[in-house]
Amino acid sequence: MKLINKLEILADAAKYDVSCASSGSSRQQLAGGIGNTVNCGICHSWSDDGRCISLLKILFTNYCIYDCVYCVNRVSNDRPRVSFTPAEIAELTINFYRRNYIEGLFLSSAVLKSPDYTMELLLQTVKKLREEERFNGYIHLKAIPGADYSLITRAGLYADRMSVNIELPSKRSLHLLAPQKDPAQIINPMKQIRAGIKSNSEERKRFSKTPRFVPAGQSTQLIIGASPEPDYHILRLSEGLYNNFNLRRIYYSAYVPVGDNPNLPQLTRPPLLREHRLYQADWLLRFYGFKADELLDQRNPNFNTHLDPKANWALNHLDLFPVEINQADYQVLLRVPGIGVKSAQRILAARRTGKITYFDLKKFGTALKRARYFITCQGKYYGGIPLREDLIKDRLTVGRGLDPERQQLSLFTDNNFNPDPSKEIEEILLLKGGTPG
Amino acid sequence: MRYYLYDGSFSGLLTAIYQAFTRKERPAKIIGKEFYRENLFAEKIEIKTEAQAADRVAQAIKRKISARTLRLIYYVFLSEQKGAADLIFSFLELGFKIGQKLDGHYTDPTVLKINRLAKRVSLELHRLLGLIRFQEIDHGIFYAPLEPDNNLLPLLAPHFVRRLADQNWLIHDRKRQLAVVYNQEEWFITPLARFTINNTVQEKQYQGLWQGFFRSITIKNRENPKLQRQFMPKRYWKYLIEKDFS
Repeated sequence: MKLINKLEILADAAKYDVSCASSGSSRQQLAGGIGNTVNCGICHSWSDDGRCISLLKILFTNYCIYDCVYCVNRVSNDRPRVSFTPAEIAELTINFYRRNYIEGLFLSSAVLKSPDYTMELLLQTVKKLREEERFNGYIHLKAIPGADYSLITRAGLYADRMSVNIELPSKRSLHLLAPQKDPAQIINPMKQIRAGIKSNSEERKRFSKTPRFVPAGQSTQLIIGASPEPDYHILRLSEGLYNNFNLRRIYYSAYVPVGDNPNLPQLTRPPLLREHRLYQADWLLRFYGFKADELLDQRNPNFNTHLDPKANWALNHLDLFPVEINQADYQVLLRVPGIGVKSAQRILAARRTGKITYFDLKKFGTALKRARYFITCQGKYYGGIPLREDLIKDRLTVGRGLDPERQQLSLFTDNNFNPDPSKEIEEILLLKGGTPG
Repeated sequence: MRYYLYDGSFSGLLTAIYQAFTRKERPAKIIGKEFYRENLFAEKIEIKTEAQAADRVAQAIKRKISARTLRLIYYVFLSEQKGAADLIFSFLELGFKIGQKLDGHYTDPTVLKINRLAKRVSLELHRLLGLIRFQEIDHGIFYAPLEPDNNLLPLLAPHFVRRLADQNWLIHDRKRQLAVVYNQEEWFITPLARFTINNTVQEKQYQGLWQGFFRSITIKNRENPKLQRQFMPKRYWKYLIEKDFS
């Protein structure tokens, strides 16, 4: 088969993996080698769905022994099957890189023959790229669940970032939709990578020449809307993952219908708004000092489709507002709807030079159409309406053209999904040392 | 009304600023020679670029204000906006008065304008670091054409020197008729008007592969051309192999 056909099939098969970040690693050029990495990452293009293309994102093969019903590459799905060779991937990567099409390689794979066999192929490929081709750009490599520990550890020395996709946010869903996969198989490689990063960083403190192990850390992905977990469950899981696995990123992938198994929801379009709200909340966890329990709870387990999570939180805590721009702490400023990390920092910087007026705020990048209801400037409130939940809520949602009756996804999301999410989450993370299976 | 005419280089601009400060005067305008139109009321002062004077200003900015300020005015200079030189002058006037505080002084209109212009330059720089497309031409040279809003060549070159150190390449700003040339040892910027290219055979193959990859990676159920254009404005498509390129 021609290389172009393979490439089209194996890029198409990899497209549901949403991660494309090339950030978090800063590697200098290498004498006689090609490429470097920059810490901020660089996007090289944007596909017609508006997602950025930073890496050559492909599967090594789409032959698979598993039959996970949510996955386009499941063995029972009738599709053309192909595999790359390590040499082909190296050629594509190097030549795309020389033309500045990409920042590096994102290499994943379906499971061919066995997890060990597949991981061995991935390892060979990245080894060839690094050692023979002297490729020094970015590499994001999947760890294949169930593969031998030593293979994953060796691969980690060639990769900038590694990831294992959890995909389904609960044990029950995993059991239902991916019956051949064992949750422990997914969590174990994540634990191994975490341990590898930790011991590597300690070793590097003593011997600076120690080669780096997964310097850009690990990430994972959760599919949204293929299973009935509410947002609260997913956010609690994310929080647990960030805290326990030091993940750099968790990606949320709105489920795109790829099969008609009775255990899958029948969606007409992917739940993009829900995915968006989860990303907003994810940012609140990582950069704004919020806890999952502040944003949602058992009684309100799903995000409001009309309000972003921060505005929603603020409306439920109006007693904390308004805050005075000229006095509030950084942490307090961050919690004001319409004020982001950048504008909060600018407010602090500008306060050192003088009093801030309401009209200065616009210059700092503050979104006044939201922030105005929650702040005072030199004692004056500019909201224009009384500080009342119903009135502000009305202003924050008005004119968005959203029908308040339309509840995206409520048909399938089961609000009573799990009476005790913390227990379930600990179980899925196997933090309590639960027995696999 | 004194008009300072400089040679259009960054050193020239810094020399003009040096002259203004040493003479303790405030020129009505600092302007590149090529943009100057004869003006009856203007008293023309031609500034001869002096590397030493320029260096003294640069060092003073770093010492008395901040290294960030120096980078900021360089970016604003590269924006080639009308009046950028005057804006830089007022900015530095304020800077030498209040020192390090200049960085956080977002409420001042000059500081704000400088920051906005610099941001525009750095945004386009970051975009083009990704969007530049090289094509292999005769003699194994990699050639990349572009038409940026700002004069980005001096900022783009160091990135690609670090990244593509083992290949000969040429980045061609067709709008300004300038090019950066790199020969695996050093890089320099040179005027370059027209340039005809002949792609190698394998070049066409890799372009085809890239186009195929680009088509396949889209999720059809999520198509969103508006979002795509927001990140990748249409004015850059002309040289994108995967888009309008022919």
